[in-house]
Formats: sequence, structure tokens, C-alpha cells
Amino acid sequence: MGSRASTLLRDEEIEEIKKETGFSHSQITRLYSRFTSLDKGENGTLSREDFQRIPELAINPLGDRIINAFFPEGEDQVNFRGFMRTLAHFRPIEDNEKSKDQNGPEPLNSRSNKLHFAFRLYDLDKDDKISRDELLQVLRMMVGVNISDEQLGSIADRTIQEADQDGDSAISFAEFVKLRC
Amino acid sequence: MGAAALRALPWALLLLGPLLPGQGLQADPVPASEPLQRFPGAEPGGITTAPPASAQEIEPLHKQPGNHSGEGAAKPRKAFPVLGIDYGHVRIPFEISLWILLACLMKLGFHVIPSVSNIVPESCLLIVVGLLVGGLIKGVGEKPPILRSEIFFLFLLPPIILDAGYFLPLRQFTENLGTILIFAVVGTLWNAFFLGGLMYAVCQVGGTGLNHIGLLANLLFGSIISAVDPVAVLAVFEEIHINELLHILVFGESLLNDAVTVVLYHLFEEFANFEQVTIIDIILGFLSFFVVSLGGVFVGVIYGVIAAFTSRFTSHIRVIEPLFVFLYSYMAYLSAELFHLSGIMALIASGVVMRPYVEANISHKSHTTIKYFLKMWSSVSETLIFIFLGVSTVAGHHYWNWTFVISTLLFCLIARVLGVLGLTWFINKFRIVKLTPKDQFIIAYGGLRGAIAFSLCYLLDYEHFNMRDMFLTAIITVIFFTVFVQGMTIRPLVDLLAVKKKQETKRSINEEIHTQFLDHLLTGIEDICGHYGHHHWKDKLNRFNKKYVKKCLIAGERSKEPQLIAFYHKMEMKQAIELVESGGLGKIPSAVSTVSMQNIQPKTLPVERALPALSKDKEEEIRKILRNNLQKTRQRLRSYNRHTLVADPYEEAWNQMLLRRQKARQLEQKINNYLTVPAHKLDSPTMSRARIGSDPLAYEPKPDSENLPIITIDPASPQSPESVDLANEELKGSSHLSSSPEEDEEGLVMRVKEPSSPGTDDVFTPGTSDSPSNQRMLRCLSDPGPRPEPEEGEPFIPKGQ
Repeated sequence: MGSRASTLLRDEEIEEIKKETGFSHSQITRLYSRFTSLDKGENGTLSREDFQRIPELAINPLGDRIINAFFPEGEDQVNFRGFMRTLAHFRPIEDNEKSKDQNGPEPLNSRSNKLHFAFRLYDLDKDDKISRDELLQVLRMMVGVNISDEQLGSIADRTIQEADQDGDSAISFAEFVKLRC
Repeated sequence: MGAAALRALPWALLLLGPLLPGQGLQADPVPASEPLQRFPGAEPGGITTAPPASAQEIEPLHKQPGNHSGEGAAKPRKAFPVLGIDYGHVRIPFEISLWILLACLMKLGFHVIPSVSNIVPESCLLIVVGLLVGGLIKGVGEKPPILRSEIFFLFLLPPIILDAGYFLPLRQFTENLGTILIFAVVGTLWNAFFLGGLMYAVCQVGGTGLNHIGLLANLLFGSIISAVDPVAVLAVFEEIHINELLHILVFGESLLNDAVTVVLYHLFEEFANFEQVTIIDIILGFLSFFVVSLGGVFVGVIYGVIAAFTSRFTSHIRVIEPLFVFLYSYMAYLSAELFHLSGIMALIASGVVMRPYVEANISHKSHTTIKYFLKMWSSVSETLIFIFLGVSTVAGHHYWNWTFVISTLLFCLIARVLGVLGLTWFINKFRIVKLTPKDQFIIAYGGLRGAIAFSLCYLLDYEHFNMRDMFLTAIITVIFFTVFVQGMTIRPLVDLLAVKKKQETKRSINEEIHTQFLDHLLTGIEDICGHYGHHHWKDKLNRFNKKYVKKCLIAGERSKEPQLIAFYHKMEMKQAIELVESGGLGKIPSAVSTVSMQNIQPKTLPVERALPALSKDKEEEIRKILRNNLQKTRQRLRSYNRHTLVADPYEEAWNQMLLRRQKARQLEQKINNYLTVPAHKLDSPTMSRARIGSDPLAYEPKPDSENLPIITIDPASPQSPESVDLANEELKGSSHLSSSPEEDEEGLVMRVKEPSSPGTDDVFTPGTSDSPSNQRMLRCLSDPGPRPEPEEGEPFIPKGQ
């Protein structure tokens, strides 16, 4: 398994991914072997079903949304580059990277990009706001079925009330960032 | 009668002894044994001169054998002792109480006179006080008491540790557990061996009478003094409000290194008796470390689970709920100490394990009780420990040896600094949030030694360790140095280095939601990567907890309540309290009792308005206020419903009525025929905790008001699947309303059904609130008013007020 994986991944590709995402060589190869083990169809891409086959993901309340985050707009397959690009958001921020920040585009795992990623998981219709309904949906997923809509509604109201500063009863990205501080 | 009189006689004689020396006591027959045995027990002290004196007088008397019942009829013809002194009788409790009183007065003094305590940490001041008191006692000629190890380990230390363990911030602790463990275990081992080895070298070289101290003795000394002390750390760190990461690192280290200390201590103590230390012994020592620490944790977990399970059934006897928590934890500590396991770890494990379940089960009052008792005991303990340290310094036998003491001090500091630096370099490879040099400095500087080291040394016996006094002196010097010098300078240093301080923000619902959200997200990503990391295991544990454990250990419906909802309830309740406390609903002559709400800091309401003077027509004013206010607070009130707890029964009546009316209006369209009369069940603890006065407020309607609709509030009827479903309650409640529409607006009577069993919090109820509140309630009914908007409220404040 291991040898097959490394031959399928060319060195130039590894270099490119390394530059784009900042992962180290060993990390990339490891993730590649994980990618291929998930890829049951062996066509070099992952589909949604491949993700859903992961057992823990099925019971994760946010499972579906996480899976969707891997797939770019409108597509059903994700290749290894896309896979790594999404995972790159979760790489820890290293101090020595901060100096290189000014030159090129912001690295994928910068704090702001991480927050954007989380924000996008809330904001399904991509209007850059978390509305009450979207918040309700997330709460409903996390809390389960035993709680009434009304109570969830009041929690959502309270949440928005706390965070909302420009009075549009929705949480914009700036307000979201301020919360997480 | 005769026997009783005979037995009473020696007491009379005792009292009379000092007053009537040598008078005609010989003729009286007295039973021999009793008084004699008392006198040896009364040790000679400053005030206890009376009993010994009378002992001399009465002794010749008591040499006669006891059976003089024949002559027993002859009673002494003495004047009845109106006043007498019997100090021996109460000596021990009296002295203990005096010490505790001294400790509390000192604490009080420091806060009343804040000028000194801003510069010098409290612990230093207390030691100084102890020194003074010790000096005083010595000056009087008495022997000042030394802090005996049993008293320290069995009575003074457990409350502090339990307080720390019960309120341990679990999230930060588990996130940093690896770091904490490495500091605690490896760090302490390094300190012990480094110090012991170097001291041995010094002893060999020193030549000033130190040659006889062997390697093992030195290692023992090293192990005693190397442990960072939780009491001292708590005392100092609490005042400087450092950021939570550093606090939990140093504090967690001080707690967990107890296992290492216990093992090393017993190990070297045993080894000092052996001639030869073999490899087997070393291996056994190594093994015993795991036994001690894991065994301690295991014992703690077992007791924690038992306590949680017990608390499930205590809903009928709320008064003694706190006792269960204390007793089980203390038993865990004692059981661990019984087997030479680590008592501190047992205590912490039991506190951590039992807390989430116990808090879900017990009433609000018990919760408050536990919190305050723990704080009280730990505070007093801490004060006593420091005072006794001071006294023991004066009282103990000391042997000052310059070389030994100075080198101990130096090497302690060096060992600590080197240890922290080395370990941090190693740990930072694995940490996501690295420890900066500033952090490292604070961690090294915060390694304070305290009373545990002192007591451990005190436990050494003289025959094997005849240099005990020297050790004691050195330990006390190190303790003084760390507490005084390091304790005093750490605050300015923290400011100088601009170390991040603790953020005093309250946890908001947003934070809670997003934290959970991110937890799920990160768990999902970990699963995708196939990486079994921190989040994965935490998620597994939570799932296991929810599925199996909560069902066993939490009573009733709370077991299904998600964490988010519980958190939300707590927050809403707090806000309700604040709303009431800051006068948001208008001032009422029957003053809201703010005593029970002192512990919650009120924040300023967003709504600021001038409170009306009450000299005018109160009703009109209050109605106006309600009208103004309810507009803005309505949104919040909607989510309050019956959780908005107020201390004042009238206000509770208000809110409830308000909400009833609102709900009734809203739900009128949706009402089916829910004509069930829900059986009254026990309150779920959140709800009952939401009552500040956690008492059944029984508003009984007048007997002839049967025609009035009655709303029974059923908090957690297990019949409905939605246990915490408040909408259903409203539905059920208002269904009664709709069933008799014409009486809809005649006013609402609320009957809260609660089983009041003998042991409930009824004891806390003033008990007088029933009848007055009845009448007021009824007076409300007498003025129904038209079908008004909720703001145009009914006269909630009755007229006669």
C-alpha cells in the first residue's frame, strides 16, 4: 500500500502541494495514503459517499457540512489537491511563517482563513451573514431532537443579540471574529 | 439518687478545691476513681493551675476505697458553688476554636486594612503573624504548639485540595494534561535527584559535621523539598490573576506531583534502613509509582461515582445533600491514605468525577452550600496552615548550618530553573500553543514550597534521621524564601513582564455554542485524516458519557438534557436575577432580598431609567414602569417563562402572570384539547434551582374560588417526550384558560404543586410567606381589569401594600 501510494504521487506534485499548503513531505505522503484508502473507487478522486463511509463522521452532527466543505462549488468529486487545500486550513500556525506573510498571498492556515472556514460552515447560503435560521439549523444539529423549536429559537435569539452589533439581527463575519477573540 | 449525688460530689469538690483549701473535706466519703483520672489529662498550662492544686488536696481523700455507700448519706455542708472555673473540661475545643478565630480575625484584618496586603501577599503576613504569636507564647513561658503532621494531613490539607479539585477548570486541565504531567513527574524527579545528589556532594565536601549524612538521606531530603506546594501556589497565584494557562500549569503540576513525592518519600525512607539497595528495590520503587498514582485516581473515581449515584436519590432530603459530597470526598482521601496511595490525587479525581453529575442532581441551595462551605473551609485551612508555619518556626528545634542551608536554597532555585527550561524545550515540540520564555520564567518562579514539605520532614523519626533538625531548618528557610521573596516579587514582575492576565469575561452563550461547534468540526477533520487525536478521544468519551453514564447517575429527565441547554438555563437564570436585583422591574416596598444574590455580580442593564419615587400612588407608577419596561424586555421574558427566578414571591407572581398572559395570547390559536391534568412531578433540578428560594411556594386559592381557572405548572412530566419542553407546559396551562373563556380575564391563580416532604428545603422557608402572599394574591384577583395588553398590567402590587 505504501509503495503504491508514493509512486502515484510525483515529486513535483508533492513540491507544489508543499508550497501551497505548507505541509511537510512526510505529512503529505501520510495524508496521501489516507486519501487512497478512502478512495474506494480508485479513480483518484473522492466522492461524497467515500466520506460518508467514515463511521465517526456519520455520527458527527456537523458531518454533512464538513463533507460539503471539501467539495468546491457544484462539483461532486474532489481530487487530492483539493483535499489537501481544505485540510491545510487546519495546520497549526507557526511563528516563523509570520515573517513571510507580507509578500505572497495569505497562507491557507492563517487565523483569518481558519475563521473564514468555520464561518462558511455556518453560513450555508453564502451571504456573509449568519442569519437566525442558519443558527437555528446548526443548533438543531448539535442539540438533537428533544428540544422544542421555541426553546432553540430563544437560544438563537439570545446568541444573535449578544453578538450583533450593527443591529441587523444576523452575525456578520466581523462580529464573528470578534466573538472568537 | 445517692449514686448520682456521690458522683456529683467530686465535681463540687473540684470546684471548691481552690476556694476552700484544706477545710473539712476529709470526712466526706467520695468515690475514688473519677477525679483522679481527670487530672493527669489536664496538662499544666497557663490557666490550668487550679486542677493540679486541687488534685493535691483531694488525692489523700481519694485514696480511700470507693464503697462507702454506708456513709454515703452524709453530704457535705458546703455553700453551693455559684461560680467556678473548669478549664480542663473544655481545653482542647477551646484552644482549637481560639486558633481558628485568630486565623479568621487575621484574614479580616488584612482586608480591612488593605494597604499592606497590596504589597505583601497574604501568606507572608500570616506567617509573620504566626511568628509573632509563637514568640508571644514562648515569651509567656508556654510551649507553643507545633504543626503536627497528622493534623496537617488529615484535617488541614483535604479541604484545600477538595476545593481545588471540585472547581478545577476541566477543559484547560485536560487540554494541557500532557504538559502538566511532564512537569509534575519528570520535573519533580529531576529536582529531587539533582538536589539530593548535589547536597550529597556538598556534605562530603563541606566537612563541617555533615559527613555523616549519607546519599539516601540526602536523596530523601531532596525528594521532600522538591515538590511544589499547592497551598502556597494557590495562595500566591490567586492574588495576581495570571492568565489561565499559566495558572493551570503551575497549579496542576503542584497537585499531580503529590504522587511522585509520596513514592519517593516512602521509598527513600525505607531504603535508609536497608544496607544495600538492589536493582529489585529500584524496580519495585518504579512500579510503586504507577500503583500509587493510578491507584489514587482509581479510588477517587470509585468514590466519585458512588457519590454521583447517591445524589441521584437525594431529591427528598435536600438538606443533607452537601454532606454527601464532602463525606465521600473525604472518605476517598482517607481510603487512599490508608493504602499509602496518593490521597491528593484521589481527592481530585473524586471531585472531578462527581461534579457534573452531582450538579445535575442537587438543588440550587445545596449547590450554593457546597460552594461556600468549600471556600470557607479551604480559606480557613490555608490561613491556619500559614499561621502554624510561623508558630512552628518559633517552637521547633533548630539546627542551623550555614553551608547546608545556603546550598539547599541555591540548588533548589537552580534545579527549578534548569528543570523548567529543559522540559519546556522538550514539550514545545509537541505543543500547538508554545510556551514563551515569559511563560517559562513565571512557571519557574512560581515553584513555591510550602507546608507539605515541612510536614513530611516532621514525620521523619529521630532514630533513623538524627539530622532531622537540620533538615527542618533548611526546609523552613527555603519555604520562607520562596513565600516571602518570590511571593512578594512575583506581582511586580508579572506587571513588569506584561504577562497576560486573566480575562474577567463571563462565558457567553456564543462562546459555548462556538466551542462546541469547533469541537465537532475538529473531531470530524480528525476522523477524515484518520488521526486519533485529542478531539477524537474526547468525543468518544463524551458519547460514552451521554449514552451510558448519564443515564445511571443523573436523576430523572436531566439525564437527557444536552449540555447546551443546561448552560443556557443557567445563564437565563442569572440574567433574571440580575434584572430583578438592579431594580429593572421597579422598586417594591417589600424589598427584594439581595442577600442570596450577593454572589452574582449585577451588570448594568441596557435599560436605564429613573426609578420612580414611591411616595406617589405606587400602583400607577409601577404600572407605568411596567409599560415602559416590558416593551424592551419582552423578548427576554419570553424566553424566561418559569425559570426566571426571583427571591421575592410577589415578583415571581408578576413574571409568571405576565408570561402566562403572553403565552395564552400566542397559543390560543394553536390549542388542541389538551385537557389532561398533568400529575405533579418533582421539579427537575435546573428548574428548582431556578428558584432562588427553592421552596414550594404554595399559593392556595380561597376555597370558594373554584370557578377560577387554575393553572398547574408541571415542570418535567415524564409523560411528554420533550422533557424540557416549555411550550408544552404553556399549552397545558393555557388550555385550562381556553376551556373557560369567559373567566379568562378574571385573573389568574397559580398553584404550584410540589411534593413537600419532610426533609425538603422547607426548613429554609421563613414559613410566614404563605398567608400574606395568599391574601395579596387574592387581592390581585379582585381587580381583574378588562382584557388588557400585558403591559397594562393588572395591579400586581396589591393595594394594601
